[in-house]
Amino acid sequence: MGTPCHFALFDLKPSFRLDLEQLAARYRELARGVHPDRFADASEREQRLALERSAGLNEAYQTLKSAPKRARYLLAISGHEVPQEVTVHDPEFLLQQMELREELEDLQDSADLAGVATFKRRLKGAQDELNESFAACWNDAAQREQAERLMRRMQFLDKLSYEVRQLEERLDD
Amino acid sequence: MALLQIAEPGQSPQPHQRRLAVGIDLGTTNSLVAALRSGLSEPLPDAQGQVILPSAVRYHADRIDVGQIAKAAASSDPLNTVLSVKRLMGRGLADVKQLGEQLPYRFVGGESHMPFIDTVQGPKSPVEVSADILKALRQRAEETLGGELVGAVITVPAYFDDAQRQATKDAAKLAGLNVLRLLNEPTAAAVAYGLDQHAEGVVAIYDLGGGTFDISILRLTGGVFEVMATGGDSALGGDDFDHAIATWMVEQAGLSADLDPGAQRSLLQAACAAKEALTQADSVEVAHGDWRAELTRQAFDALIEPMVARSLKACRRAVRDSGIEIEEVEAVVMVGGSTRVPRVREAVAELFGRQPLTEIDPDQVVAIGAAIQADTLAGNKRDGEELLLLDVIPLSLGLETMGGLMEKVIPRNTTIPVARAQDFTTYKDGQSAMMIHVLQGERELISDCRSLARFELRGIPAMVAGAAKIRVTFQVDADGLLSVAARELGSGVEASIQVKPSYGLTDGEIARMLKDSFEHAGYDKVARQLREHQVDAERLLEAVQGALDADGERLLDAEERMVIEHQMEELRQLMSGTDGPAIEQQTKRLSQVTDAFAARRLDSTVKAALAGRNLNEIEE
Repeated sequence: MGTPCHFALFDLKPSFRLDLEQLAARYRELARGVHPDRFADASEREQRLALERSAGLNEAYQTLKSAPKRARYLLAISGHEVPQEVTVHDPEFLLQQMELREELEDLQDSADLAGVATFKRRLKGAQDELNESFAACWNDAAQREQAERLMRRMQFLDKLSYEVRQLEERLDD
Repeated sequence: MALLQIAEPGQSPQPHQRRLAVGIDLGTTNSLVAALRSGLSEPLPDAQGQVILPSAVRYHADRIDVGQIAKAAASSDPLNTVLSVKRLMGRGLADVKQLGEQLPYRFVGGESHMPFIDTVQGPKSPVEVSADILKALRQRAEETLGGELVGAVITVPAYFDDAQRQATKDAAKLAGLNVLRLLNEPTAAAVAYGLDQHAEGVVAIYDLGGGTFDISILRLTGGVFEVMATGGDSALGGDDFDHAIATWMVEQAGLSADLDPGAQRSLLQAACAAKEALTQADSVEVAHGDWRAELTRQAFDALIEPMVARSLKACRRAVRDSGIEIEEVEAVVMVGGSTRVPRVREAVAELFGRQPLTEIDPDQVVAIGAAIQADTLAGNKRDGEELLLLDVIPLSLGLETMGGLMEKVIPRNTTIPVARAQDFTTYKDGQSAMMIHVLQGERELISDCRSLARFELRGIPAMVAGAAKIRVTFQVDADGLLSVAARELGSGVEASIQVKPSYGLTDGEIARMLKDSFEHAGYDKVARQLREHQVDAERLLEAVQGALDADGERLLDAEERMVIEHQMEELRQLMSGTDGPAIEQQTKRLSQVTDAFAARRLDSTVKAALAGRNLNEIEE
């Protein structure tokens, strides 16, 4: 594919540890250059190019900003694409997942807002931990399998935090 | 050689001349036009010195009145006088009929699904009525500024969907305006506020207008206005406060609910006047005919409480969507005339734990911000740092997948412009066409989302099911307008569409859709599972039937065939019901009894393939 590397676009070396503030600042700078608003009175062709470039930049930023997406992307550019859907052999983690989900259902039944807040803090802690572990191993070919497993776990937790948001929504009545 | 001065169309040959561009707030109740004059953005007044143009249009046989004079005729000539037309933009006839009793017009169907209002000048679509308001503003601007406009930025509620945006753009074109950009109203307000106050950090814009409500959370950083999340209700506004008072009056006075259009209008006008008076007074006398009563502010607050609560709920959701805590919001800006209602201010202050800002006139702030953006887009350089607005889509966009489910391609609150692709495949052998159904909304079932467009990708070369790779690309431009393209990757067959819906949702449907998506999350899951099981069952039945037709005679004996057909019949019967687990079970059973048959078919195809190859080899 002819698309440039997301990291290169932001003038960064591929890395999992990113300064998100700096990334955001760089994004704003780049957006200033390519946003269609800059080309509102330019030719149609230029407007179309600005639209494409700007959409590409937004996509790159979304990918790098999110830890699980960044992790998946790093694995893709440093080896091969990790298939989206695959049977996961990670029984320990799956068990933990099921417990977390049950806990979330209980919180919904009891409409326990304080409980949800605690749950969110714990989830955040677990995510931070995963991020650290992934950062330590993704770049080591020998630990590739472990890195993929961690990335999948990150995706699971990401989905879980989305479900927490939906639960908060439902409890907000 | 003569020097030729070459200018692009619309571009001024004199580089130092300021290019005239305006910002237009096309509101439900009131509209304004603003422009930058000597470095200052301000609304332009009419000949009488009024900046506000009531969004009212009255059709006479030979002329059109727009503004105050039209509004004044609302109860004497209700059928030819159109108010709050913004509530009809991008809506279909069926949707508008559901709004029903509130609207005094005679609606007629047109060639499209758009609702036309029957007037003495013949049928008028909401787009035309809006265009008449825009024409009046355009004329005012050209007279005041003394020249032709290069273009205009038109504001729309952030929560407007694709159809409503497209309708607004069409109205502007009809009014002879070059649309530089459709700008979200809260974002426009943020620009006016941010530049005025040199604000930085996280800001919430609470925008309650005549007919729509928006909440946007933005991060302001060095001239960049980045929308983090937006939410709202495209059918919630001051009009609803008026209706609440009017309904109360009807009940208190013991009037019959089906008043004639003129009486309806005068009742609403009395209600609106009472609402406005209660901004200052603690109580007000309301009257209708001989009937009189006292409406206290307390009673009014109670009448509007459910609507205020709805707006606060949307605020909390937007804060959550932006991934911050409510304490991190550093300023709350009030926009829209309805934020003058004391109860609204109080409730917003309570929620955010700080006094909302009302320094800039809530009726003017949107137009002022739009004018600043218009000036930038027209290519006039501003002093200091250049302005950049990064906005988002308010509602998720997606496609219909097997079984009537909506698959999100771009989730709500994604920064625009955005382009995203999703791959799909065929599910039948030899399938040569695929229907692409584009949807907008938050629910899982397509029947709960808004249908934006349907088109067909034809000419897919014959392949076995699952072998074709169809890439569907969604692109949302800086105006928030969507276009969709589909392409079969192997053959390069293409189809695309500029999504241009001709009809719309029921008013309030978006709000309902969102609300439902949370209330019905439990139900959705069950419904989704049922649909998935049904789809699986359908697929299997189709496959087995195909196999029976092709090879049943050759590979099965009578008894084997009977067993399979019996299980198929069982499954068909279950499918018409709603017992998901039973369907799943029976699907498994059918799959089991056809295992041997499938294996035999596979063997025979392998043999045939091998035989074919031998034949080829021999021929060589």
